[in-house]
Amino acid sequence: MTLNTLTAPIDSASEFHKIQSRPASIEVKDVSVSFKTPKGVFTAIKNIDLTIKKGEIVALIGHSGCGKSTLMGTISGMTAPTSGTVIANGSVVKGPRPDRGIVFQNYSLLPWFSVYKNIYEAVDSVFKNKTAAEKREIVEENLKMVNLWTHKDKLPGQLSGGMKQRVAIARAFSINPTILLLDEPFGALDALIKGSMHIELLKLWNMDNRNKTIVMVTHDIEEAIFLSDRVVVMNNGPEATIKEIVEVPLSRPRNKKAIVHDPV
Amino acid sequence: MKKLFTIQTYLPILFGIGSAVLLLGAWWGVSILTNNEIPTPLMTWAVFSEMLATPFYDNGPNDKGIGNQLVSSLIRVFSGFGAGSLVAIPVGLLIGSSKTAFRLINPIVQILRPVSPLAWFPLGLLAFKAAEGATIFIIFITSVWPTLINTAFGVASIPQDHKNVAKAYGFSKWKYITKVIIPFALPHIITGLRLSIGVAWMVIVAGEMLSGGVGIGFFVWDSWNALSLEKILSAILIIGTVGLLLDKGFDWLQKRFAFA
Repeated sequence: MTLNTLTAPIDSASEFHKIQSRPASIEVKDVSVSFKTPKGVFTAIKNIDLTIKKGEIVALIGHSGCGKSTLMGTISGMTAPTSGTVIANGSVVKGPRPDRGIVFQNYSLLPWFSVYKNIYEAVDSVFKNKTAAEKREIVEENLKMVNLWTHKDKLPGQLSGGMKQRVAIARAFSINPTILLLDEPFGALDALIKGSMHIELLKLWNMDNRNKTIVMVTHDIEEAIFLSDRVVVMNNGPEATIKEIVEVPLSRPRNKKAIVHDPV
Repeated sequence: MKKLFTIQTYLPILFGIGSAVLLLGAWWGVSILTNNEIPTPLMTWAVFSEMLATPFYDNGPNDKGIGNQLVSSLIRVFSGFGAGSLVAIPVGLLIGSSKTAFRLINPIVQILRPVSPLAWFPLGLLAFKAAEGATIFIIFITSVWPTLINTAFGVASIPQDHKNVAKAYGFSKWKYITKVIIPFALPHIITGLRLSIGVAWMVIVAGEMLSGGVGIGFFVWDSWNALSLEKILSAILIIGTVGLLLDKGFDWLQKRFAFA
């Protein structure tokens, strides 16, 4: 299947099978992660195998401390696996790389830079060969996309939680990664803003012709079902493994109310 | 209607007057107890206002106005402090960001920091063959430490979040230093500079008593030799005021560069 055929919206019930016939975006192969602690070796995750297809949205779900963020860390490259390998976009993950955009749990904006500058510095670092005008264009486009252009000169400290989250998402999108990794992205937001952020995220994903692979860590089941194609449920740690992988056969666009009243 | 002027508006002024009265009262008390061996505020004021009337007169090397003395001292302080900062900030950045550098350099810092500035004076004389160089040297060596330690502490306390941003977006070393480390450490660096300039201003008086020449420290010593207690007390007031102004200047900088 070529990418061109994917430009048309895929809203049929069979979209799930279409996704499964796509090439792999992320392959987690027999990955274990252990940490040295004063009490001895602590194994957070053990022998995890997981393949995520291009353009798929996958949610990692489980209790606090079950190792879902650790698994995410091995995909982003922030955490090195003790054994096993992670392959992203065809190459072995050896550290963070801009082909994988990360949205951190606590936004991680640099507080001394304006909204604009926070995104500009990321764009500037990743697209070294582009001209300043091109880089400015990318920043403007992404800030307008999350409706924050009018707030571009504010410092992160002057923004609400939802706005900071949108800046963080705009920053991750601005470097145009093929994989987007979201670590409890909406955890700190209130229910109302959370809902609109979900729609916002799907909108961005749609605008990019659903080509970006999205992996998100969450402990909100409703959020996982609304957003993702597959939900990866993890066992309780230590030595956490994948308990089961649940497919979400709902066609898109999805209706949040319908999901709440008629759960799968 | 809200009252624009209440007692609250005048409180700072009232407290200011209060502490001035307290100081002058205590001073006067001491003067009375010592039979005016310590001159009264009034006697001091007469000399002080005379000194301030012609601050920049110059009657040869041993008789210069208070303004000349102050300027010479300030030039020395800022030379030593400037050189000290130029060394302290980069070294602080280094030992704050590298564990190896910290373990290598920290013991040296800890052993040299408590040494009295005057102990360095002979070494300065040996190195520079002149009292002027030696005075600036002791300012340098004593004003290095607070900036160095504060810079290192600032850099070492960068939150993991900020480091993660640099990692995730592949910041170059240069970008990481200029866009993450320095902006984060800047308030700590300025706090260090503020402490350093305070130390430098304290050390200059002692240094100039040893070195002689022109300067506020030498002025105090010279006034003692001329048995003019009024001049010494005036100089103390001036030293205190200048020190306060320097501190306020760095306080302003600190506020100016504080983020969020």
